[in-house]
Amino acid sequence: MARFLLRRLVTSVVVLFGLGVVTFLMSQVLPGDPARAAAGRNATAEQVAAVSARLGLDKPVWEQFPAYLGNLLHGDLGTSVFTQRPVLSDIGDALPSSLELVLAAMLINVAIAVPLGVYAAYRRGRAADVAARLIVLFGAGVPVFWLGLMLQLVFADRLGALPLTGQLGFGREVPSITGMTSVDALLSGDPAAFSDAVSHLVLPAVTLAAAFVAVVARTVRSSMISVLDSDYITLARATGASEWRVVIRHGLRNALVPVSTILGMQLGWMLGSTVLVESVFGRRGIGAYAVNAVLQNDLYAVIGTVLVIGVVFVLANIVVDVVQLWLNPRLRQPGGSRASAAPAAEPVEPGVVEGAAT
Amino acid sequence: MKTAVADTVERGPAVPRRRRFAPAGRASIVDRVALAIAGLMVLIALVGPLLAPHDPYSVNLGQALHAPSADHWFGTDANGRDIFSRVLYGARVSLLATVIVIAVATLIGTIVGTLAALGGRVADEVLMRICDIGLSLPAIILALGLAAALGPGLRSAVIALCLTWWPGYARLVRTLVRDVRDAEYVEAARTLGVSTPRLVFRHVLPNSLDTLYVQTTLDVSAVMLVISGLSFVGVGAQVPSAEWGAMIAGAAGNLTNGWWAVVFPGLAIMLTAVSFNLVGDWLRVRNDPTLRGRRS
Repeated sequence: MARFLLRRLVTSVVVLFGLGVVTFLMSQVLPGDPARAAAGRNATAEQVAAVSARLGLDKPVWEQFPAYLGNLLHGDLGTSVFTQRPVLSDIGDALPSSLELVLAAMLINVAIAVPLGVYAAYRRGRAADVAARLIVLFGAGVPVFWLGLMLQLVFADRLGALPLTGQLGFGREVPSITGMTSVDALLSGDPAAFSDAVSHLVLPAVTLAAAFVAVVARTVRSSMISVLDSDYITLARATGASEWRVVIRHGLRNALVPVSTILGMQLGWMLGSTVLVESVFGRRGIGAYAVNAVLQNDLYAVIGTVLVIGVVFVLANIVVDVVQLWLNPRLRQPGGSRASAAPAAEPVEPGVVEGAAT
Repeated sequence: MKTAVADTVERGPAVPRRRRFAPAGRASIVDRVALAIAGLMVLIALVGPLLAPHDPYSVNLGQALHAPSADHWFGTDANGRDIFSRVLYGARVSLLATVIVIAVATLIGTIVGTLAALGGRVADEVLMRICDIGLSLPAIILALGLAAALGPGLRSAVIALCLTWWPGYARLVRTLVRDVRDAEYVEAARTLGVSTPRLVFRHVLPNSLDTLYVQTTLDVSAVMLVISGLSFVGVGAQVPSAEWGAMIAGAAGNLTNGWWAVVFPGLAIMLTAVSFNLVGDWLRVRNDPTLRGRRS
């Protein structure tokens, strides 16, 4: 168990180092002069040169790189040209709002995909299974941003059931405690603001979840199928356990091991997909920040977003490993190597994992 | 011994080339419709500009935001451009960009994956860690950063995606090649003294590629969605362009008074993506003898 975790931690460190390399290379090719950006628009040539020397930008690349990594470790992601603030505090302000959206989407995702997958596996080959396959393949083929626009058109514009954009109704405010609007409303004891925040959250969260439901439902289905065919399920049936107990207690719990891997990876992907959702719904967040940064050629802000999302992705994967230890007793045994972990990851369909990248 | 034989039976040259493309007795009605739509989309990409009733770029402000009619089947956008013609033109842009990305990514992935599988432990470890880094970021975020680095435009988006999409293929090819590498017929060829390059190109790779081409079919939709997404947020194809994502971006501001300008390009993306998904899924099931019994 310790070896398993250690190996994963080492891999994570390697990946994070690689991220540092990739973003450093990006900073080398991105257009625009970071020294001029940092010195301000009206700086003289001498001032720019001074800033360049201070930031070490006049040094050769192989000397800049260690300095760059050092800055990253201190949490220094540079200064945004647009907001004139440190990128890290910009992202720190934007991230809670995105996390609120991602968590809401994850909740919807699991609530729809798991029952759908279990039911499709249980009724495999029947009409319900075919219907589930179609829902799943359609979900994977809808452009996220377009789905958002369609939901806005139907539910906000035509039916008027939900707000079109924003995070709170006009003129309503909540004190910023966590940065997540709905949580802040709850913490400040304002139920009206809470329901307002939630009603603003529904459409973006459904939009974000739609693309991911497909992958989870498919994984649950194929994982459930292999579990339901196993001997211990036959044994559980033979002991006279109720069908519900057999499928949910014995089946689903074991089928969830590969699903948890997918969900963990999806957390990172969802954070990436906020790029497509937040701007449609006029929400604050890291996705909207990234898009603005790209359009304004804001070098450090773009790189900072890429880095932060990468770090969140790596952290989510570590959390998933811990959850897997808890779900999969085989990993907990002393001397449990990766070889014994491998079968657990097997039912994951390689084909569908990629599809969620959007 | 027993498993080696089973492997040869399951994944070896068990499916002859003829049968792979033979009329599929088991294709359901859904699969056939999907195949027809996917084929239609490819056809439109090839000859669409010949079918277009109007010039997709001609601005006619007097015709702005007209609802779908006999003259303009899909209506007109805020600049009076015919959306039907633009959607037809867009098929070529979107599909061509997608095909380029997949072709380049598959090529890089196949080279890297084969090197990792056959090049020894150190090469394997180094190449796979590089893949880990590539896979540790959502493709859209990495592509967004790279496209920004290269300057907004469809060309940047395509290059960025080529650079971000290959690690998945490298992983897949590595696994496939390793499976084939240990198969008996490869062992036999090696014993007969076949040179390593010949072994790789004539015996190992061709037998690994069945699964790979299924994956590329499934990836058509994923790549197309990312490209249109990049165009939508403004780093891919730029707004007047008849690219589906850029068309939606240009029309989103008029969503409430000109829904057709948003709906039809989106439907085009969705139809293409879903039909390729269905075709890929069907090929996957057909190709994999272990799955065939599971889905009826």
